[in-house]
Amino acid sequence: MRIGLVLPEAPQYSETFFNLKIQGLKESGFDVILFTGSKNKKKSDLEIRSAYPVRKGNVFIQAFLYAYVLMKSFLFSPKRTLNLLKLESEDGKNFKECLKSVYINAHIFPEDIDILHFGFTTMALKRENTAKSMNALMSVSFRGYDINIYPLKNPGCYKKVWENTDKVHTISEYLRGKAVKYGLSENTPYKKITPAVDPDKFPQSEIRKEISVPVILTVGRLNWIKNYETAISAMKMLADDGVNFKYTIVGEGPETERLKFAVYQLGLRDKIIFAGKKSHDEVKDLMSKTDIYLQPSFEEGFCVSVLEAQAAGLMCIVSDAEGLKENIIDGKTGWIIAKRDFRSFKNKIKDVMEMNYERRKEISDNARSRIINEFKAEEQKKYFKEFFETMTKKA
Amino acid sequence: MRVAIYSGNIPSTTFIENLIKNISSSGIKVLLFGKKFREVKYNENVEILDTPDSGLELLFFIIKESVKSIFRNPAKYLKTLRKIFTGDRGFKNKLKELGMMLPIINNQPDIFHIQWGKTLQKNPYLFELLSCRFALSLRGAHINYSPLNDNALAESYRKYFPVIDGFHAVSEAISAEAQKYGADSKKIKVIYSGVSDEFRNVKAEIRSDDSGMLKIISIGRYHWKKGYHYALDAMKILIKNGQEFKYTIVAQGEVPEEILFMLDDDELKSRVELKSGMPHEMLMKELSESDMLILPSVEEGIANVVLESMALGIPVISTDCGGMNEAISDGIDGFIVKVRDPELLAEKITELSNMKTDIKEKIILNARNKIKEKFSNENLKKGFVDFYASILKA
Repeated sequence: MRIGLVLPEAPQYSETFFNLKIQGLKESGFDVILFTGSKNKKKSDLEIRSAYPVRKGNVFIQAFLYAYVLMKSFLFSPKRTLNLLKLESEDGKNFKECLKSVYINAHIFPEDIDILHFGFTTMALKRENTAKSMNALMSVSFRGYDINIYPLKNPGCYKKVWENTDKVHTISEYLRGKAVKYGLSENTPYKKITPAVDPDKFPQSEIRKEISVPVILTVGRLNWIKNYETAISAMKMLADDGVNFKYTIVGEGPETERLKFAVYQLGLRDKIIFAGKKSHDEVKDLMSKTDIYLQPSFEEGFCVSVLEAQAAGLMCIVSDAEGLKENIIDGKTGWIIAKRDFRSFKNKIKDVMEMNYERRKEISDNARSRIINEFKAEEQKKYFKEFFETMTKKA
Repeated sequence: MRVAIYSGNIPSTTFIENLIKNISSSGIKVLLFGKKFREVKYNENVEILDTPDSGLELLFFIIKESVKSIFRNPAKYLKTLRKIFTGDRGFKNKLKELGMMLPIINNQPDIFHIQWGKTLQKNPYLFELLSCRFALSLRGAHINYSPLNDNALAESYRKYFPVIDGFHAVSEAISAEAQKYGADSKKIKVIYSGVSDEFRNVKAEIRSDDSGMLKIISIGRYHWKKGYHYALDAMKILIKNGQEFKYTIVAQGEVPEEILFMLDDDELKSRVELKSGMPHEMLMKELSESDMLILPSVEEGIANVVLESMALGIPVISTDCGGMNEAISDGIDGFIVKVRDPELLAEKITELSNMKTDIKEKIILNARNKIKEKFSNENLKKGFVDFYASILKA
């Protein structure tokens, strides 16, 4: 069986999730080909077909490129191209839009595939009819951004995707539930496959006998949905209570200025460190010296960082964002706090500081064994194999 | 006296336009450099030196101004070329900068008044090419948080603040902030902005709320510093407490994802209304029909909308940020709560909504008096006349 995987770019070595998925599929005997955006520069051992550039050079160069690509598509994939034109015009697209659609699918058409899988739901936009016109099955993955953020500014954007998708992969029950709220049919088959973590890459940190100056950590992009402001306000209250601590934020992103200002305004510049972007190994090292991991997010699809923190046996305090509620078992592998409630975050940090060694060790062990037992890479590979093997055309 | 008001755009923001209007009417000759985007009516003391910013137009403009400049002072002209054509900002940008610089050199003012701090980093050669005095306005983000995340900008402040002859600060708070980058306190003058008469001449009635429906309003563009996400948290608390209300946000621009995300909540959605920016008269009407204005910001110079609200007779609850406590004395002419704390904001909203009418009237009266005494255009005008005079005298 041959699977076409549509991604913005070839996954880097650090993107465990896609690499494991692809590697697993290959080991299971699938033939995998990658379709990426036009700007892909990343290397991969896989076969890659990149899209034709949508904006290149001046109008004339672009027009020439369009003519060339369209002609090629008509000559070498006549049936698929005509199918697509027909389907698109049935959807009410005008002639120009139909041709555009051929152009953005022209790198996919020459390949024979059984299943076209979109690694992000947003990647399926404007390619809703691609699989159908190639007589292939279509599946999509739900990631946090696809369901939590993109539809906010683009209401109704997935209508056609829902219609044509034969099967859904979701990283949390919550995301699938929200997609149903946004119009996905209850009857569309789906499978929850969470990301996996290699526990050897995140060895269990030592639990300190006593925490007098807690070392606290969060890893993630600096954007609004991660809601760092709640963590920073909690730190302010902690400082006001006379607690000394060190809080490191790893990541970069559009809200850097906003967050640095918050830290400055609250007088915490000597206690909160913006460490910038860090490699996997550097994060591992940081985790080995950390007591408490915070994840105050507004919302999460699932959150791999929280899995990694549990693998490292850190005391995880997370918000009740829906995806995190499936990630942490409250009171057993960490604690769940009402989102944006910085007072409760602060209280929980103090609780953890006062907890005896045995209790903290118990939480740490629970967290680590949960990751080892329930988020195995092997399992993930097996699930993806089943996912594609059992796929059938939607009725 | 000839003063150049330099912001880069003609017309500029509301408060800079207000500044131009007021100082030109006090007899100071005002020069405006930069690209004119649309027609503005100024009085005869304002001279616009419109600079095209691209295309053949720019090229012809540069040739014309170059000829003028070579005749007047060839050495200066060569120095200008040398200064602008070094560094790697791209040829197009350099041409644009040359187009901007030549008319300034050919029409040197007595005082070159820079409106935005970031100009210091962008056009540092100003200080070497002009032999006039320099003034700088200390406003908002450029001083309060941009340099925190931009070391090069902070460096440019430390390097060029000592060269500035006088600073205009929009509040005491921002004056203190600028001193951290080496602005000399003796050279800083705080001049508050002025509220236009249209707000001062009318007084809103205290609404008699038979329906019991509390009407809350916030006004100001969408930006994280406006703290609307904290206001929405506070509204959630009000709902939990069983308080009936309607909250309106009037803001220009695209609604940010964060706000859309928070409003994807049935309870909030039915009580919160987002309105896009509107002309002044409509804004005044909208404001007059509210019970209170809240300013949930985390950063401000002094928010003009608060001053306007106070002038109009609408009680204000503001967070304690920037210079807001210079406009409001808590419990006397308005209310101040801690920044970033929705619980305190919600508490204060409930307190104000339950306040007896006579106490509310007293607060409104105090607020109107405060505006008349401290935030009038007359004060602003006098402030700037003195400010420029002291720079020339020094």
